Amino acid sequence: MVYYSLRGYNNGMFLVGILSWWYGDGFSRRIQLIKERLISSIDFFSIDILLSSFFAPFRQISAGNVSGPIGDQIRAFFDKLLSRIVGAIVRSFVIFFGLIVIFLQLIFSLLTIIVWLILPTFPVIGLILTAVGGVSL
Amino acid sequence: MSDISFNYTSTRSEKARISILFTKNKINLLYVAFLTMIILGFILIFREFPVGWSFVGFSIVSVMIIEWYNGELRHLKTLKNPKNIDDVLSCEILGRISKNPTPREIAKIIGIVPGGHFFAIRFGISNSFLCEFVSNDKDDMKEIWQESWKIMKNTKNQKISSAILLTAIIKSTPNSINLLNHLQLDEDDLISGIKWYDHLHDLIELHRIPKRTGGLARDWSFGWTPLLNRFGQNISQQIGTYGVSLLKLIAHDESLNQLIEIFSKKGRQNAVLVGPPGVGKTEIVNAFASKLLDATADIPHQLKFRQVFLLDASSLIANAPGRGQLEKLLMQILNEAYDAKNIIICLDNAQLFFEEGIGSVDISNILMPIIQAGNLRMIFAMDEQRYLKIGQRNPELINVLNRINISPANQEETIAIMQDKSVIYEFQNHVTYMYQSIVEAYRLSERYIHGLAMPGKALSLMESSAHYSENSLVTVESVRQAIEKTLDVKVSNASSEKEKETLLNLEDLIHKHMVNQEKAVQVVSDALRRARAGVRNQQRPIGTFLFLGPTGVGKTELSKALADIYYGGQDRIIRLDMNEYVNKSDVNRLIADASENSNSLTAQVMKQPFSLVLLDEIEKAHPDVLSTLLQMLDEGIMRDINNREIGFRDVIVIATSNAGADRLREYIERGYEIDSIHDKFINELIETKQFLPEFLNRFDEIVLFRPLNEKELLKVVELILDEINKTLSLQKIKVSVTTEAREYLVKVGYDPKMGARPIRRVIQKAVENTVAKKLLSGDVGPGSIIEINLENVSKILDSKITADELIMKSNEK
Repeated sequence: MVYYSLRGYNNGMFLVGILSWWYGDGFSRRIQLIKERLISSIDFFSIDILLSSFFAPFRQISAGNVSGPIGDQIRAFFDKLLSRIVGAIVRSFVIFFGLIVIFLQLIFSLLTIIVWLILPTFPVIGLILTAVGGVSL
Repeated sequence: MSDISFNYTSTRSEKARISILFTKNKINLLYVAFLTMIILGFILIFREFPVGWSFVGFSIVSVMIIEWYNGELRHLKTLKNPKNIDDVLSCEILGRISKNPTPREIAKIIGIVPGGHFFAIRFGISNSFLCEFVSNDKDDMKEIWQESWKIMKNTKNQKISSAILLTAIIKSTPNSINLLNHLQLDEDDLISGIKWYDHLHDLIELHRIPKRTGGLARDWSFGWTPLLNRFGQNISQQIGTYGVSLLKLIAHDESLNQLIEIFSKKGRQNAVLVGPPGVGKTEIVNAFASKLLDATADIPHQLKFRQVFLLDASSLIANAPGRGQLEKLLMQILNEAYDAKNIIICLDNAQLFFEEGIGSVDISNILMPIIQAGNLRMIFAMDEQRYLKIGQRNPELINVLNRINISPANQEETIAIMQDKSVIYEFQNHVTYMYQSIVEAYRLSERYIHGLAMPGKALSLMESSAHYSENSLVTVESVRQAIEKTLDVKVSNASSEKEKETLLNLEDLIHKHMVNQEKAVQVVSDALRRARAGVRNQQRPIGTFLFLGPTGVGKTELSKALADIYYGGQDRIIRLDMNEYVNKSDVNRLIADASENSNSLTAQVMKQPFSLVLLDEIEKAHPDVLSTLLQMLDEGIMRDINNREIGFRDVIVIATSNAGADRLREYIERGYEIDSIHDKFINELIETKQFLPEFLNRFDEIVLFRPLNEKELLKVVELILDEINKTLSLQKIKVSVTTEAREYLVKVGYDPKMGARPIRRVIQKAVENTVAKKLLSGDVGPGSIIEINLENVSKILDSKITADELIMKSNEK
């Protein structure tokens, strides 16, 4: 028997609707959101760019070609080398820090997924705990 | 498709009804309920009341409802394989309709949802207006559902929005054409409205999508550019800050792809965008910069995250005024860009760097090796004429540039761009644009704005219309006012009572200035009435007339009267004495550029398009001059010396001629009526080769002016005396001339060859001089009436010699 409330919607539909969405499209959406946030973080820390340009001279400082006496060329080579080393160090720090943030985000995301899955059972768990007199915190 | 129906009990319908329950306030209430329950729950738990666990557990229900609303109900997805109307109907409508809806019920619902508001404001289709004509019969819904389905498919939509439903309701109404006509719209406009509504939705959605633009280390491998930052404009940075246009234009898409292709391949890393001003060259550069910044865009790796800098030539030139300074500064900037390795330089108005002149410096000797080497990516933007000019002087330069032609946008694209830009203009000016105003801005800019291409000119008018908004709404009238105020033309149809009155009584008003010539007055008046009632051919001048007849019969006088009454003053007459255009070379003077000759016909009409063009003594003009005028008479356009199209569609052209005047006088003296000899006389003019038939055929009307008889000349005297009295009214003095004296004035002043022209001089001598003497002698004062009788007049004009002298003077004139 289908029962319609005064407002014109099926009250049974409410519960079925929310639960079927929660474990269906809602769950997929949650995963999608987590994925997007992870991609945003990877994009923000530019991990791929940092890796592909790991040894590139930082901000192109002393990166130009120098022609002239051998002494000038050797100095330019070391300047360039220094610029590369500075770049590599800065990039290493950012990669390291970025990976930590992304890792923490991943852990948090996994927790979110688990909580998402058990969240609808909370009212039932609450009722059971009330009935058994609760647990001590 | 014929079995499209509405299922009230489908899951989607149920969800839609739940969805509309959640208003913003209710959602906030759920947040409050969650916080209250969870806090209360934990307080109870800590106080060792087990019921606290139930509070905590049930607080989650609020969170779940909010998630459900945001995740599904708020934007209820359509079904993948829709069969019924409820599978695709917009949630905001679906949730509100009853089991057996009627068109009127749907119309009422549309009135309270955003799509309905959009059409009410942008198109003037209000809810009450819609409800007035739709039926209340539920059986009519089937047709509306089917129409909605059809529109959804045609507009490549996934759902039936309120905008589609509204369009379907209007289209399904039996008197829809009348209804749309009332709103100055057609069905295509409604479809355009749906697309506009969808586009605005897409813009909002675009802002929700997180952007991927390379992250914090994006530019670390590239150099610093302090000089470029100082003298250039970092388009990429601006795009990152303010976002980009979502609009994808087919016309620009091709150019954009060409640009990407040029910079992706090895070879000359430059492109020159060639197109008229206003065509959107800078927009293409913006779109290009935006694409390079988008990490998800399908572009070659070597172009990703490259930054586009716009170099302003005038700013550079201003900062390096000394000889050699500009070259030095530019070299520094270009070296910096090259060293940075991620810069694409864009030189807007690039011609300023390739030609010597005021505000420009030729530094092609510096740019040439850089362009040839192809190590630094560069984009140049200039118009076709300048490009060709530079090519003529420096063909080597043109050979090394990769040319990309940018064509003006068509009507559909321009309107789409205008709709896109409306968001920005509305935000800047706190106004709302009606759809009709956008279409009108396109139409009027196409017609009246010169020197810019589409979409530039339409956008320029659209922007200036914001200053003429009524109650913050930019209407068709606002656009018309903007163009009327800036260009001093009349584009609206006659609307004020005063103007309607003037138009209806035009003949009478003209006759206050001139005598008889009924036919001429009538044709001119008819042309004006047609124009102002909006029934004339818009692709031609308001009217083109050839007035033929002897001197002094009122040909020029009619033009002056018309300018006075209708155009508001004789300064609206653009008068050309065609006896000054008797040589072939005079054509150049006729169509000269305003900078060279501001008195050329094209320059004057460009400056004042709402005028009366009077071509006096047209028969004396060189045949080449007449040929030049043909297009103007036929299509209402003329090309100036720079090949620019000048509109003559708001002018009245009156050409006068006294060719064959003696023959005409002879006919009249022999007792012929002017109408009966009209065709014969015109044929004689063609046969005697005074006019070419193709020239005469271009006129709307050829009007013969007949010589005035004595009775009419008396009226001329009366008009001249009225003018004198008008002047004297400032001193509160009036002149009264007796009938005998007037007859004497006509007798002395009339000359068969010169018509009524000498009469003015005779009156000047006999009346004005008398009045002047009396005023100076103190015989008359304010409130006096100066009586002039036959004796006074004959005393002055007592001998025939005096009269002859006067006539001779007139002849000399």
